[in-house]
Amino acid sequence: MKKNLIRLYNLPEKVKFCKKCTISNQRPRITFDANGVCSACNYNEFKRNNIDWKIREAELHTLCEKHRKVNGEYDVIVPCSGGKDGSFVAHQLKYHYGMNPLAVTWAPLKATKIGRQNLDAFIASGFSHIMGTPNPLVTRKLTNLSFKHLGDPFQPFIYGQTNFPLHMAVKHNVQLIMYGENGEVEYGGDMKNALRPTRDIQDHDSHYFSGLPPEFWIEHGVSMIDLYPFMAPKFEDIVKNRTEIHFLGYYKMWDPQENYYYCHENTGFNANIERSEGTYSKYASLDDEIDGFHYYLAYIKFGMGRTTSDTAHEIRDGKITRDEGVALVKRYDHEAPKRYYREFLDFCSITDEEVNEVIDSWRSDHIWLQENGEWKLRFAIWEDQ
Amino acid sequence: MRNIRLIARLDIKGLNLIKGINLEGLRVIGSPNEHALRYYQQGADELIYIDSVASLYGRNHLGGVISAAAKNIFVPMTVGGGICSVDNATEILRSGADKVAVNTAAVSNPRLITDIAECFGSQCMVLHVEAKLVGPDRWEVYTNNGRERTGLDVVSWVKQGVELGAGEILLTSVDREGTRKGFDVALVKAVSAIVNVPVIASGGMGHPDDLVEVVNEGGADAVAMADILHYNRASIGEIRSTAKNAGLGVRYYE
Repeated sequence: MKKNLIRLYNLPEKVKFCKKCTISNQRPRITFDANGVCSACNYNEFKRNNIDWKIREAELHTLCEKHRKVNGEYDVIVPCSGGKDGSFVAHQLKYHYGMNPLAVTWAPLKATKIGRQNLDAFIASGFSHIMGTPNPLVTRKLTNLSFKHLGDPFQPFIYGQTNFPLHMAVKHNVQLIMYGENGEVEYGGDMKNALRPTRDIQDHDSHYFSGLPPEFWIEHGVSMIDLYPFMAPKFEDIVKNRTEIHFLGYYKMWDPQENYYYCHENTGFNANIERSEGTYSKYASLDDEIDGFHYYLAYIKFGMGRTTSDTAHEIRDGKITRDEGVALVKRYDHEAPKRYYREFLDFCSITDEEVNEVIDSWRSDHIWLQENGEWKLRFAIWEDQ
Repeated sequence: MRNIRLIARLDIKGLNLIKGINLEGLRVIGSPNEHALRYYQQGADELIYIDSVASLYGRNHLGGVISAAAKNIFVPMTVGGGICSVDNATEILRSGADKVAVNTAAVSNPRLITDIAECFGSQCMVLHVEAKLVGPDRWEVYTNNGRERTGLDVVSWVKQGVELGAGEILLTSVDREGTRKGFDVALVKAVSAIVNVPVIASGGMGHPDDLVEVVNEGGADAVAMADILHYNRASIGEIRSTAKNAGLGVRYYE
């Protein structure tokens, strides 16, 4: 059944591209100003020119001071896949701010070799670590359901990624959870947190779960027992623990490329042996065989794939120009994931036909048109004047 | 005894000199001309310019950078990145380059090696190979600045390249590039053992001693250096002294 994207995600009917980066107004929750510049670019500009990072640094010291423990308990939870960003956060907190972090990883849906190597290297560089691994049969079932119903196989991972650190905080009596960057603010979304170091747990449903928390799948025949590992702790337990979620990107100028250099030097991080499908980079988001489908479905839904996200933030960070970004989008954004395609079908127990049916059900007429049997973007950034 | 050539390698993106690790995370270092001039004044024997994203973006922008450099730099310059026709090569040579380096386009069209060699001579046609270790003593050829695999075996590709007319091999180890862990000596050895044209070892120079090792044990005829120079970890003068003290032949330079 054809989905109504405009209504589901509250999208503008006419596609417009940001004048500065490669993002279009089809990214959910992003806003554009009167000059046609997106909120992420404006925030980046603001971040570079208007923030006194010395003051923020002092705020970080105060925060660490407040949470630091002397009784041997962990004092900060760092959600970390072993990638360059989480590893940077954990390593900085431990070795530059004298904190005692517990690194926690929610298991990838289907781990890659390079991802696992990087995680092992990170742990070996000196960290206590806990891996949350839900029953893989349930993960597969939820992946199948979320792919079919939400057009994104990644939702079960996102549940755990969001909720597991909360569990660990409550369980280990840790009040501080430190993430890397606030994606909503850095990459375009709800800007209400742009000037705050924290995020509200109440926003998890709308920002991360497309309005559908784990409990939603009960009506699709998943039992409470199976869903339990994916669910958040009881809200009153989170509050009673005085849990705070902070972003290091508020306290320090966030630069993913510099994190790569830092982690190559300090946590044994290595880039992949080839670029990721759907983009040109080989150092970001390497740990899950399924994530190519997450990005590809974003390309289908919003006309923006993995290259668009990568180029947009690299343009803002001054790593590439907009022209380069546009050339890269033209070259790689449309690339469908093939490397792990069979594994994906097996993992989700679905057929080729089902995959294509799902994909086509998320193709909105305001994004796509069919020409001689081929799907074509109605508005492509390289044709945009 | 042959002289070992000390080559400064400048990877360029847009208007900037850049540097990555494993050819990824390209960090802006500064102005290509300022660095090139500094290396020339320190006594570099040659310069290599690579437009590292030319194939990625389908362009080559080095003409301007090269003609500016040619005004005050008087050592041989090799230029690569996005060269996919004899016309491209002509243009680059007219801007002041002495040799062209070809990787991606040579893989998709090996005939280009012969065409360039026939037009300008083999000494002008440098085959650039991005090599990635894939098994014990086995390396795969990569293209597009270490992003795409080709399935080609490095040793047989180099052999074929030389038969087609390549007069020199620029051999970049993707595994070592930017890591400061030393050259992939086994790679250089495997390649230098099977060809009779000069081999330039590139990628991984962390310390001047690494040069001695890759020449003595790998049989390199020249070394390309980037990170060690860009981050001022050693000057070409210091590197030259290390080579000389180890008994290697280097150009006399005051």
